[in-house]
Amino acid sequence: MVMKNAKNVNFWQIDHKVKNILGVEGVVVLPSPKAWQKFDWVKSLFKEKPKEGYFVWVKKQVPFPLSTCVTIASPKISQNLTNLLVIEKGLEIKVNVVCNAAKNNLYGSHKAKGKLILKEGASLDYYHFHQWGEKDFVSPDYEFTLGKNSKLVYNYKNLLPPANLELKTVIYGKENSSSNINFLINGINSKIKIEDILFLEGENSQGIVKLRLVGRKKSDIDARSEIVAKNIVKGHLDCQGLLVDKDSKISLTPKLICQNKGAQLTHEASIGRIAEEQLTYLRMRGLSEKEATDLIISGFLKI
Amino acid sequence: MGKILLKVEKLKVKVDGKETLKDVNLQIKRGEVQALLGPNASGKSTLAQVILGNPKYRIVKGKISFGGKEITKLSPEKRVKLGIGLTWQSPPAIKGVRLSQFLKEIFLIKKEIKEIKEIKYLKDREINLNFSGGEKKISELLQVLSLNPKLVIFDEIDSGLDIKKLQQVANIIKKELVEKNIAILLITHNGQILDYLKPDWTFVMLDGRIICKEKDYKKVLKTIKKYGYEKCKKCKFLANRP
Repeated sequence: MVMKNAKNVNFWQIDHKVKNILGVEGVVVLPSPKAWQKFDWVKSLFKEKPKEGYFVWVKKQVPFPLSTCVTIASPKISQNLTNLLVIEKGLEIKVNVVCNAAKNNLYGSHKAKGKLILKEGASLDYYHFHQWGEKDFVSPDYEFTLGKNSKLVYNYKNLLPPANLELKTVIYGKENSSSNINFLINGINSKIKIEDILFLEGENSQGIVKLRLVGRKKSDIDARSEIVAKNIVKGHLDCQGLLVDKDSKISLTPKLICQNKGAQLTHEASIGRIAEEQLTYLRMRGLSEKEATDLIISGFLKI
Repeated sequence: MGKILLKVEKLKVKVDGKETLKDVNLQIKRGEVQALLGPNASGKSTLAQVILGNPKYRIVKGKISFGGKEITKLSPEKRVKLGIGLTWQSPPAIKGVRLSQFLKEIFLIKKEIKEIKEIKYLKDREINLNFSGGEKKISELLQVLSLNPKLVIFDEIDSGLDIKKLQQVANIIKKELVEKNIAILLITHNGQILDYLKPDWTFVMLDGRIICKEKDYKKVLKTIKKYGYEKCKKCKFLANRP
């Protein structure tokens, strides 16, 4: 996905340069190095001064989605981002985040360390779209802290992955928080490593983590998904892989750790291939084998 | 009736090493309505799938032609593009893909189609996922109509439908296909739909062979109801074998 009108993006960075910052009433948007200098509490979150990245602090309700876009447009760029998103108490916010490469063969590197903080009763729908060139290296490392009674929907979607993707996600859920986490990744000639851990810390916190992974064209995907129950909580892991060709590999490791006897944790995991019957059915609707395969994959990658 | 549209000649088919079709011959002319009756596992659905080119089945002998062109080795999608459509008896669910992705806009705004009230709620649902038996039949019918076919094979379109739904389905087939001179092959084991669509010819299939061809479908149905399919092997009335 590419932002249709980048001028309306709240934070827009190309390579290392901030192209646009669009603040709105009740929302502070800054490059993260400036935020680090300006606010002491930001210093407590990041030991070192950030080099680049965005800071978005939502203090009042806004009726439209906020958005950020970080692009690699020049060859051999190595981004090292530190991002921070804070949603104040009781606000319901939607955020679209796009990270991408403008061209296919830029040999770029995109490292992003992010913290997302939802204060008590806040609600965040966070759509994270990645679209990379086939020579890029990408490693997002995000940490979500969910305050009491807060609610997170996190959708990470990567239909054009880089050569190498290392995706780390940690979520901490406090009392009565809920999280719905979805990772949708179409592995095409990629080496992909996914590690996500959901810590259900507070009483009655709950979370569902879904992984939908497609392995095609010599992809190697290793996904480790974990839920840790520290209280009376509910959690569910749903990991599904679809192996499209014989040269690809998917490894799924769901893990449940229960530290409270009142907790309820479940998981399901499967790796399969496209059913011949589905392919034949779609071909009998006039689609070629490739079109039918692509359609089945697109359906698999929807939640 | 017009020229021969579909011609199946001496067709022998194996699946998993077992012969499922044995020297099957069949001809359907433009605008003709034909019925193929037979008990479960007699080879009716196999014949339909083979005509459409399902790669699971291996043709060991014989050939299939459509519109004068041999299609025995053609891919399913190319057969569909030539104008052959098939409604599946038990269609698979395609998760995450909405029915409307298959049904072209131009098709959906056609007056007669808009009158099918199921369209409203089926088109935004994932194909065949949690569809009831009746919804599957309507969905199959809509999909095949949207392909602009010259021949439609209906595989058990009448099974699992209540009388009202059956009438509705039969009326759509009549309006959208029969009246437009589109050929039809109705595969059925209970024959319910035949009263509405009145086939020009009725065939009976047993153990992978077509053993009977008859003009009067009522006569065939009456005999089957009275004596069962086994009797067909020895039937004197229906001895007009193709």
